[in-house]
Amino acid sequence: MDLTQITSSVLASGPEIIIILGACVALMLSLVPRPGQGALLAGLSLVMIALAAAMSLTLAQNPQTAYGGMFVNDGFSTFFKMLLYLGTALTILISDRYLGTEDAAKGEYYVLLLFALSGAMIMVSGKDLLIIYVGLELQALSIYVLVGFLTTNTRSNEAALKYVILGAFSSGLLLFGLSLLYGLTGTTQLEAMGEALDSVETSSPLLALATVFLIVGLLFKVGAVPFHMWVPDIYEGAPSPVTGFMSTVGKVAAVAVILRLLIQDLAMLDPIWRGSVEAVAVLTLAAGSFAALVQTNIKRMLAYSSIAHGGFLLLGLLAGGSEGLASVMLYLLIFTVTNLGLFAVIVLLNRGAGQGENIQDFSGLAKSQPGVALMALVFLLSLAGIPPTGGFFAKFYVLVALVDAGFVLLAVFAVLLSAIAAWFYLRVIMLMYMEQNDQPAVFQVSPAIGWALIVTFTGTVLTGVLPAWFLGVSKAAATAGLG
Amino acid sequence: MTDLPVLSILILLPAVGAVLTPFLRKDPIVRWFSLLVLFADFLLALWVLLNFDPNTAAMQFGEHRVWVPNLGISYRLGIDGISVWFVVLTSLLGWICVLASWWSISIRVKEFMTCLLAMQSLMIGVFCALDMILFYILWEAMLVPMYLIIGIWGGANRVYAAFKFFLYTLAGSLLFLIGILLLYFGGGQTFDVLALMEVQYPFPLQIWVFLAFLVAFAVKIPMVPVHTWLPDAHVQAPTAGSIILAGVLLKMGAYGFLRFSLPMLPDASQYFAPMMIALSAVAIVYGGFLALAQSDIKKLIAYSSVSHMGFITLGLFTFDAKGMSGAVIQMFNHGITTGALFLFVGIIYERTHSRDIAAYGGLIKVVPLFGILFAAFLLSSMALPGLNGFIGELLVLAAAFGVSGWAGAAGALGALVGAAYLLGVYRQMLLGEVKTPGDVFVWDLGRRELACAAPLLLFVVWFGLYPKPFLTILQPSLDHLMTQLNPTAVTP
Amino acid sequence: MIGIEHYLTVAATLFVIGIFGLFLNRKNVIILLMSIELMLLAVNINLVAFSSFLGDLVGQVFTLFVLTVAAAEAAIGLAILVCFFRNRGTIDVEDISVMKG
Repeated sequence: MDLTQITSSVLASGPEIIIILGACVALMLSLVPRPGQGALLAGLSLVMIALAAAMSLTLAQNPQTAYGGMFVNDGFSTFFKMLLYLGTALTILISDRYLGTEDAAKGEYYVLLLFALSGAMIMVSGKDLLIIYVGLELQALSIYVLVGFLTTNTRSNEAALKYVILGAFSSGLLLFGLSLLYGLTGTTQLEAMGEALDSVETSSPLLALATVFLIVGLLFKVGAVPFHMWVPDIYEGAPSPVTGFMSTVGKVAAVAVILRLLIQDLAMLDPIWRGSVEAVAVLTLAAGSFAALVQTNIKRMLAYSSIAHGGFLLLGLLAGGSEGLASVMLYLLIFTVTNLGLFAVIVLLNRGAGQGENIQDFSGLAKSQPGVALMALVFLLSLAGIPPTGGFFAKFYVLVALVDAGFVLLAVFAVLLSAIAAWFYLRVIMLMYMEQNDQPAVFQVSPAIGWALIVTFTGTVLTGVLPAWFLGVSKAAATAGLG
Repeated sequence: MTDLPVLSILILLPAVGAVLTPFLRKDPIVRWFSLLVLFADFLLALWVLLNFDPNTAAMQFGEHRVWVPNLGISYRLGIDGISVWFVVLTSLLGWICVLASWWSISIRVKEFMTCLLAMQSLMIGVFCALDMILFYILWEAMLVPMYLIIGIWGGANRVYAAFKFFLYTLAGSLLFLIGILLLYFGGGQTFDVLALMEVQYPFPLQIWVFLAFLVAFAVKIPMVPVHTWLPDAHVQAPTAGSIILAGVLLKMGAYGFLRFSLPMLPDASQYFAPMMIALSAVAIVYGGFLALAQSDIKKLIAYSSVSHMGFITLGLFTFDAKGMSGAVIQMFNHGITTGALFLFVGIIYERTHSRDIAAYGGLIKVVPLFGILFAAFLLSSMALPGLNGFIGELLVLAAAFGVSGWAGAAGALGALVGAAYLLGVYRQMLLGEVKTPGDVFVWDLGRRELACAAPLLLFVVWFGLYPKPFLTILQPSLDHLMTQLNPTAVTP
Repeated sequence: MIGIEHYLTVAATLFVIGIFGLFLNRKNVIILLMSIELMLLAVNINLVAFSSFLGDLVGQVFTLFVLTVAAAEAAIGLAILVCFFRNRGTIDVEDISVMKG
C-alpha cells in the first residue's frame, strides 16, 4: 500500500473518522462540567452527523473500495448510512428531555451514541468479516453501556446485564460461524469468500454448520424467533431514547449486514438457510403480533411490535432479488422514521423514574394534547400499515416483492397477521381518543422534541402520500448493492 | 366537457375542508363551514351529473397522473353511468350528515367534522378511482375516520363496536390486496382497472382472486356469515355514522363486485354464482327474520339492511340484464331509504333517548310531519309500488325466478317478511295509543330536520314515479358490463 | 500426528461447554461471563488452527481482535455487574427477574 492508496482509503472512511473525532471531542468536553453542557454536546453531535452525512453524499458520487477491499462506499452502504444518521440525529433530539426528567444528564451519553453510530457505519461499509465484526462490537459495546445508563434504576441495570450476556453469546455464535467460514475458504474478504464458496458443495456438513451459526448469530441481532426473548426485557428496561435507538439504528445496521452477507456476497448459501428462515420469519411475525396483544407497558409492546416488523423484514429478505432488497430498505427507512416519532411521544409522556410508560398513560391524550395525539395517531397507523401513511407502502412493497417471487402463501400469512397486529396499535389509539383521564398528561413540547416530531411526522406522511422518490432511492441503492 | 379536473376537485374539496377545520375557533363556525363545504361538493356532484353524457359506457371526466411510477401505481379517476350515481348519493348524504349531527354532536365538534369531511373525500374517491391500488388505499384509509366516529361519539358500547368494525373490515381488505397483486403478477402487469378488465385470466387464478375479493366485499356488504359487525356498528354509531354506513359504505362491497369481480373474473363469477345466490338468499331470509325479532329500532334497520343487501348480491349474480339493473337501482335506493330511516331514528332518539320500538305509539298524532315522512320512508323500504324501492326489488325478483325457483322464492319470502317487520314498526310507533318512552315531550320536525328529509323524499318519489333518467344514464354502462360477462355473446 | 480435526474437536468441545455453562448455570452471573469467554476461546482456537493450517496470517490477526474485544466485553460486563450489585445486593442469576413477560 503506497501513500496515495492510504490517503484515498482514509478519505473513503472520512464519515467514520468524523464521527469518531466528534465522539472524542465530546468526551473531552464532557470532562469539564458546565451549565448547558447537554445542549452543547447534543449540538456538537448533530453538527458532526451533518458533516458526516455531507461527506457520505459526496463520497457516494464515485463508489470505491478502500483499505485493500475491506471497506466499501457504494450506493448500498450510503443508503444505510443515511438511515443511521437520521436515526441517531432523531435519537439525540429526543434524548435531552429524557435525561432531564430521569436526572441522568451526563456527557458520556452523546459520546456513546456517536461511538455506537460509528460502529454501525463500519458494519454497513464492511466488506470483510473482520471489519464487520469490529464494527458490530463497537456498536454493541456502546449500546450495552447506554442500556444501563440509568445507573440507579434496577430495570435499566438488569436490562444491561441481560443484554451484555445475550449479546456476547450471540456474538460468540456468529464468530464461531465466521471462523468455520474462514477455515473453509481461507479468507475473510467477502468477495473472495464468495468465489471460494462457489466451488464448495452446498451439502458439505461443515458449510452447513458454519451457515447455521452465522444465521443464528445474525437472527439474534434482529430479535427473530426463537432468539427474541431478550428483546422485550431490554427494550423495557433501557432508557426510552436508547430503546428507540436500538430498535432503529441497531436494527438497520444488523439488517444491512444480513443483506450484505446473505443476498449479495454469500448468495450461494441460499439453499442452506432458505427453508429454516421461512419458518423463522413466519414464527417471528406470529409471535410478535400475538405477544404484543397482552402487553401493558408501551415499550414492551413496541418491543414485540418491533419483533413482528423484523418478521416482515425477513419476508423481504426471502423474496430476494433487487425487489426484495429494495423492499427491505424502504421498510427500514419508514420504520425508522415512524418508530422514532412514537418514541418521541413516549419521551414526552415520561415523568421520571419509569413513570408514564404504561399504555394507560396515553388515555385522554387527544383532549389534553390534540396535536401530539394526532401525530401519535399517524405513527401508530403507520406501524399498523394503514394507508395513507408510510407504513402501508413499506408493507405493500414487501408484499409486492413476495408475490412477484411467487411466495403467495407467505404473503397471505403476513397480511392476516398484520390484521391481528393492528389490534394493539388500535388499542393505543382508542385510549388516546376514546378514554377519559382525570389526570391527563401535562407537558410542554421542547423545541428539540418538536423538531423531531415534525421531521418524523412529515416523513411518515410523505412516504405515504408521495412514496415514489423514496422508492426510487431504495431501488437504486439495492441495485447498486447487488452490483 | 371541460379540462378542469372536476373529480379531483370533488374529492379534494372535503379533504381541504378536513385540513382546515381544526384551525377554526368556535363550534358554530365549524358546523357552518362543514355544511358549506359539503353542500358545495354536492352542487358540484350535481353539475357532474347534469354534464354526464348518457350515450356511452366509457369512463368520463377521466384524469390520469403519474403517482408511483416505480410500482406502476397511478392516480387515475373516471366515472361511468354506475359510479356517477354513487358519487351523487355520497355527496347528498354528506351534508345531510352534517345537519343530522348539528346539535346531537356537542362534544369535540371539530374532530367530528374533520372525520366527516375526511370520510366524504375518501368515499367519493373510492367511487371515482380507476387504479386498483388507489382504490385500495382510499378504501382502507376510510376505516380510520369511521373507527373514530363510532368510537368517540357512539353509544355505550362504542369501543367494542368500533374495534369489531375495524378489524373485520381490515382483515377482509388485506386479502383484497393480495388479490390485486395476484392480478398484477398473474398477467396484467398493471393496476389500471380498465386494462385489467381486458386481461383474460386462467381459471384457477380467477378462482383464488375471486375468493380473496369475496372476503373483502362480503365483509363490507355484509353477507351472512360475516355480518355480525354491522348490528353492533349501527347501534353504537351516532346518527351520521349510521347514515354513512348504511348509505354508502355497504354499497362499496356491492360496487366492488360490480367493478372488479364481475368484469375481471367473469369465469370465476359464473362458477361461484350458485354459491353467491345461495348466500344472498340466506341473507335475505335470515336478515329478515332477525329484523322481525328485534325490539331495538336501529338493530331492526341494521338487519333489514342485511336482508336488502342480499337482494343486491342476488341480482348481481343472476347474470341477467334485468337482475343487474335491479341490483344497481336497489343499491342506490337502499342508500337513500336506509339513510333516511337512520336519520329519522336519530331524530326521535334525540328527543327521547330511547330506541325501544315498543315504548312508542301513536306518534303520527303528536308529530304528524315526522310521522308522515317516517311512514313514507318505511313504505319505500318495503318496496311499495310508486316509491323508489319497488322497481329494483321487482327486477331482482324477476331475474331470480328466471335463474332458480328457490332463490326467487327466498326473495319473495324476504320481501314478505320485510313488509311484516316494517309494517310492524309502522303500526307500533306511528299508530295506536299515544305514548313515548318516559312520557317525554316530543316536538315535530324543525326546519333543519326538514331540510335533511326533503331531498331524500324528493329522490324517493322521483325514482318511484319516473325512474327513466336514472335508467338512461345507467343503461350503457350496464350493457357494457353484460358484454364483459359474456364475451361470447358479443356480435362482431 | 495431530491434524486440524483435533484442534477443531477441542474447539467445538469448549464451545459446547460454554453454551451449556450459559444455559444450565443457575447460580452466578460471573460464571455466565466465564462461559462466554470459553466460547470466544473456542473461536480463537479455531481461527489460529485454521490460520496455521492454511498458512494465512489473517486468522491470527482476527484472533487478536477477538481477544481485545472479549476483554472490552468482559470489562463492560463486570462494570454493569458492579452497578447491578450496588442496587440489588446480589448477583444470583435467579434474581435478575424484575422484568418478566
